[in-house]
Amino acid sequence: MKNNRLLKNKTLIVGCGRLGCSIANECCSEGKNVMAVDFNEDCFAGLSNKFSGYTFVGDVTDLSVLEEAYIASAKEIIITTGDDNVNLFVAYVARKIYDVPNIYVRLDDPNNAALIQGLKIKAIYPFELSFDKFNLIRGGSK
Amino acid sequence: MKIVICGGNHAADFIIKTFKGHQHQLIVINSSREAARYLTKVNQIPVFHGDYWRKYVLEDAHVEGADIFVALGYKDCDNFVACLSAKKLFGVKKCICIVNNPKNVDIFRELGVDSVISSTQMLAYSILSEASLENLIKAVSLEDDKIVMTEIIIKENYEIAHKKIMDISFPKTGNISCIYRQPNVIIPNGSTLILPKDKLAFVSTPQNQKEIINFIQRVRKN
Repeated sequence: MKNNRLLKNKTLIVGCGRLGCSIANECCSEGKNVMAVDFNEDCFAGLSNKFSGYTFVGDVTDLSVLEEAYIASAKEIIITTGDDNVNLFVAYVARKIYDVPNIYVRLDDPNNAALIQGLKIKAIYPFELSFDKFNLIRGGSK
Repeated sequence: MKIVICGGNHAADFIIKTFKGHQHQLIVINSSREAARYLTKVNQIPVFHGDYWRKYVLEDAHVEGADIFVALGYKDCDNFVACLSAKKLFGVKKCICIVNNPKNVDIFRELGVDSVISSTQMLAYSILSEASLENLIKAVSLEDDKIVMTEIIIKENYEIAHKKIMDISFPKTGNISCIYRQPNVIIPNGSTLILPKDKLAFVSTPQNQKEIINFIQRVRKN
């Protein structure tokens, strides 16, 4: 499974909802080598016409699907499926089995932060972002 | 022992029944309301209803310091995160989880779950051992298939029948652990005589199993 000799130059997007697709589009426009994976083929409709990467349909909790999507040669992986547990699992696999240099994950439950502590996994918490933004706009209108 | 049982329906029911009343403290959590109700009703014990992979549910159920944590849910990732939380946040000593996808057995182990069970994998091994051996041989795997215990019935025409163990130069890669000769169980030593119809049980590694079976089943030439 491990192959450190491979050139790590790919950007892997796991979960292509609104966020995943937007990031995939942006990465493409930056000229990155993008691989997008989702179990639902319809999700790829969110990719723009200019998207020039590859798409893979499959269950990301199955390692063979991630392997097909070149996880072993990923420079960065962005995990944005709708299920926190799937996101955590993929992040762990990316860190402990394939040692992907940059791992970004979306987690709905901020309590999950404790589970990725010390693993060099960068997390986004939509709850915290919304809460901060709410406080900001309310504070602004006072 | 403090045992936490998460998820599962019939599997949870069976485990609760096995351990209930044996001076074990059972904590049962289920994410399905119907399953939680059913388990409470048939076993007369409190069942927490909640997502057992969430920190606050595990906190409410007081799983901290449990000896064994078992995750029996249908989704592999839910079980994985539950075991991870139990271990990392609540200092649970040992985690066991079941997986639907047999490929996850090795991966979950590598990611820190103590014991991973896949019924599909077990079925495959069982088919394999049934298919590769004759009917009169039974095999049991121990220690994650690193050791096998094989049971074999001695026939009249085998070379080793009517001989003492010290005279047959049994392969060094295995060990005869007991002989079942109705109605007795004999723990053999060098001078034990092997007789037809004996059930001979030996332990070995899976790699050497075939070689030893071939040795035992060698037919006398005369």
